[in-house]
Amino acid sequence: MSQLLPYLFLGLLLSAVLAWWVWDAIVHRSTAEVLTPRQHRSTARSVGSQRDLGERIFGTEDWDFVLHETPSEIQRMFQRERTVLALAWLRRTRRQTSQVMRAHVAVARQSEDLQIVVEIKLALNYLLFLGLCNSLIGWVWLLGPVRTRKIVGHTLQWAARQRAAFAQLMARVDPASCRVVGTNFNHGTVRN
Amino acid sequence: MFGQVLWWTEIAAEALLLARAIGTKFYTKYTSFYFYVTCVLLVDLFRFGVFTTLPNSYPLFYWRTQFLAATVGYAVILEMYTQALKKYRGVVRVANGLLLCILAAVMLKTIAGAVSGSGWSPGETMAALERDMRALQAALLLVIIALLAYYKIPTGKNLMGIVVGYSCYVATSVLCLGFGSLPGFGPRPAWRSVQPIAYLATLLIWCLTLWSYHPNPGPDPGSKIERDYKLLSDQTKRILSKARSYLKMGGEL
Repeated sequence: MSQLLPYLFLGLLLSAVLAWWVWDAIVHRSTAEVLTPRQHRSTARSVGSQRDLGERIFGTEDWDFVLHETPSEIQRMFQRERTVLALAWLRRTRRQTSQVMRAHVAVARQSEDLQIVVEIKLALNYLLFLGLCNSLIGWVWLLGPVRTRKIVGHTLQWAARQRAAFAQLMARVDPASCRVVGTNFNHGTVRN
Repeated sequence: MFGQVLWWTEIAAEALLLARAIGTKFYTKYTSFYFYVTCVLLVDLFRFGVFTTLPNSYPLFYWRTQFLAATVGYAVILEMYTQALKKYRGVVRVANGLLLCILAAVMLKTIAGAVSGSGWSPGETMAALERDMRALQAALLLVIIALLAYYKIPTGKNLMGIVVGYSCYVATSVLCLGFGSLPGFGPRPAWRSVQPIAYLATLLIWCLTLWSYHPNPGPDPGSKIERDYKLLSDQTKRILSKARSYLKMGGEL
């Protein structure tokens, strides 16, 4: 039975990748989206506030204040609202990462200077990031942003390193797109 | 009886596919693919002849011709590769690298089997050989489809039909032949008809998607990102072309 497993895995994997490709081609055929400089300009203005927002949402200052100064009902309300905010922030981070990846793919597919190792590394990093981001959303939804701030901090540090890899690649592929990448990944780390 | 109906329907579908391609004169656009369909049609007709005239020789004839059909199946993969990636040289480089990795893995497995004197053996059974060939095809298809999906390479209706149809058939074949090698699965009549049904489904997909010629859309010269570069400034374009020519010369940015 164990000799069957590689064939079973290969057959199912091929079916899954095929289904994903067909679904993606049908759903996104008319809605191909890439980062435009107009979006670039608007995000450039909000980079600073976005970083502050992430730090504020997952930071301990507000929670410490609420914990010491308010009754338990307010504390529960604070946690509920902070969870909603944190989830929205994480989803926005995920969306912006996907936009950067789409921009990269749109430029990279027409480039003649693709490097296979860098491409594979980027794809794996992106998949890992998506997995992490989705699991973070799950953790925040379950436990709230205050208890998960350490994990979020580590993830954002890792995302910053990812940004450096993106910038390096985009600088090689297309210097103009490099600017687009640079504006979307400046999330700071969260203080633990 | 059901097997006979499947058989005849497959032959009719293959003949229709070829007749349509010849009638509309676009068989030259997908030469490798139609070469495969022609071979399979001939194999089916020969099989039918052997089955009716020499029924005792049929099982051996079946496996030998099945091996031939699986080998010619690589022509379909070649067609996908050339049609889908011919305008994307960078992606071709990535694809070549990944395909070389697969080739290296297969060679390592073969060498390891030969050195240890056990494991992979092409002469074990014809079914096992076909299973391994289909598994390799599945790996190659996996690379091509993953690249098409990842780089969002636009594909026409014809190419999409070829990819979807053949991938469905290969995936089903890998699963069927894998399970078929287990004791108790192979001889079941219902299990043995799964692969022909999958092949008939593939032929129906091909008949629908290859009814008329739909060329692959090439890289869009006026795409959004391209227009936005123009909007950025002429200066950026000059820097870009300088940077690219510099990279081509082997320099670094």
